[in-house]
Amino acid sequence: MTFFSQKLKSQKASTRIDSQSRRQLLKLLSAGCGCCICGSVSARLLKYPLHATEIGSKTWAVHGESSHFNLDNGGNIVNVAFIEVPDGVVVIDTGPSKRYGEALLALIEKTVPGKPILRVYNTHHHPDHCFGNQVFDPAIIAAPQGVIDNINTEGNAFADNMYRLVGDWMRGTAPVAPAVVLDASTEEIGGRQFSLFYLSGHTSADFVVRDDSTGVLFSGDLAFLYRAPTTPHADIATWQGAIDSLGALDHELILPGHGPSDKRDESLAQTSDYLAWLEDTLIGAVDSGLTMNEAMQLPIPDGFASLNVVREEFERSVVHLYPDLEDQLMPIIDVTR
Amino acid sequence: MVHSKQVRFFNTLIRRMAYMTNTAKKLALVGLLLAYATLTSTATHASIPADPFGSVMWKTMVETYFTGGDVVFDERVVVSAPKSAENQMHVPITVDATRLKNVKQIVAVADLNPIQHVLTVRPEQALSFIGFRLKLQQSSPIHVGVQTEDGTWHIGGALVDAAGGGCTAPAHAHSISNWMQTLGETRALVRRDSKGDARMTIRMRHPMDTGLASGIPVFYMNKMVVKDEAGGVVAELDLYEPVSENPTLTLKPSVGSASSVLKVSTRDTEGNEFAFPLSVPAVLAQ
Repeated sequence: MTFFSQKLKSQKASTRIDSQSRRQLLKLLSAGCGCCICGSVSARLLKYPLHATEIGSKTWAVHGESSHFNLDNGGNIVNVAFIEVPDGVVVIDTGPSKRYGEALLALIEKTVPGKPILRVYNTHHHPDHCFGNQVFDPAIIAAPQGVIDNINTEGNAFADNMYRLVGDWMRGTAPVAPAVVLDASTEEIGGRQFSLFYLSGHTSADFVVRDDSTGVLFSGDLAFLYRAPTTPHADIATWQGAIDSLGALDHELILPGHGPSDKRDESLAQTSDYLAWLEDTLIGAVDSGLTMNEAMQLPIPDGFASLNVVREEFERSVVHLYPDLEDQLMPIIDVTR
Repeated sequence: MVHSKQVRFFNTLIRRMAYMTNTAKKLALVGLLLAYATLTSTATHASIPADPFGSVMWKTMVETYFTGGDVVFDERVVVSAPKSAENQMHVPITVDATRLKNVKQIVAVADLNPIQHVLTVRPEQALSFIGFRLKLQQSSPIHVGVQTEDGTWHIGGALVDAAGGGCTAPAHAHSISNWMQTLGETRALVRRDSKGDARMTIRMRHPMDTGLASGIPVFYMNKMVVKDEAGGVVAELDLYEPVSENPTLTLKPSVGSASSVLKVSTRDTEGNEFAFPLSVPAVLAQ
């Protein structure tokens, strides 16, 4: 769709240009691709418009879009962060592709010039959070064993799907698992102490980092804000427990996996409320015998209707969560064979 | 359709053949056969309407699965499917053709699957409604033909984007060492909806092997019959390889408002037979 509509737009644009601006047109064509056959995707310059927002002292967030993976955003839908510590830089999550990783490196160099990157954390194995790993030295990339196992098991399938969804943005990208296995409750990096929390629920291994000097909590995808949570590997009850644990931790600010930074724990409340509604709704749907397609059409309450991509995520969640609920709610019948 | 003028011409010719010599009769017969063949073949091709989903396989689908009647796209055949398959092994589809009367059968095909025919349902005493899940090998149009008593195929459909590989991957069952022990294990739920219509959802353990995964021969549940207490057929289903592992099927049996017991029996391609009763609750008095 995007391909055709863009091609159509460029055709319309070129018919509008009269002979006077012919030179301009030539300039335009040579700046782009110059050949109408190869289409807009390859003609476009694939450049992530990364911007560092200072959310705490010497702490920057790189916010992604609130949409789905697509050919326009190149998978940049995620929050990545970096912190200047006394002796260098600590990075939390690496984005959806090698190209993103390169752009992130350039942004870090521009923001804190000449500082070495000492540590890269991966919060979980989803491709938007760890597919920029390739541009960093694996010896400084760290995560709990569960995250590493998940990357090793599912990384290649994720890569296949990402190439399909965002195309050439992914060129050269391959999954890289962290080399450093974490299991301690704290670690000191470059003169700064970080607390490490080993949780699960969004996936089977969700890793949360807290900068103990600033109190910024990097929640990964255990918290979403103004963007509907995703559930492909979710266990809702465990996730709710993890949200409770995060709420009980001392912190000044939360950087959720998706959405703006959060000073009032809004991301925890919103994620928890949405998951509770999601679970209740799907239990009701399975119990009344609705097909998945019928469940996908159920109304979304006003409170969640403003969350970005909520209808799409709700539809995906029906597919993710129905099978387990069927196990719980549909009784086993005695069969004669 | 053969034009009526042409039919009259052939009828006259046949009557006149009585007065012809044997050689002339033979020649006329050959001519007649040729003319009929040409006419009927061009007639079939001309009556295939353009496919709104732009499927390259549409003509083949019609010639293979939607034969023996006119073919029309009909908005009364509502096919619900996700735009994008979250899991290519389990793509949910719901067909609601309850606005059509006198439905003989419902046939679902996935045009670009290596095996296209997904299932056929004959709703004898059931509403023209079926919920199921299918495997997709790649992004594909799904066409559902609902044939009415007059022979006409009413077509609905949907386009589903998919990562693919759903038909050639081994079933999940093969990662469980004792999967044979749970073959045929059944979960079921029967409910009345707000209108009092009964709906039954059943899920039976079966790998539904397509034969396309390396080293795993074809093995799938291919038949299901639902009968009422008196033994009358409520619905008959022919299932094929693309139906998802652990077939999950939703039907709406027309069983009146009192409580009753349905009898379900299924069979697979290795002759295993499974049977179970299903209690339908009465419609609650308002």
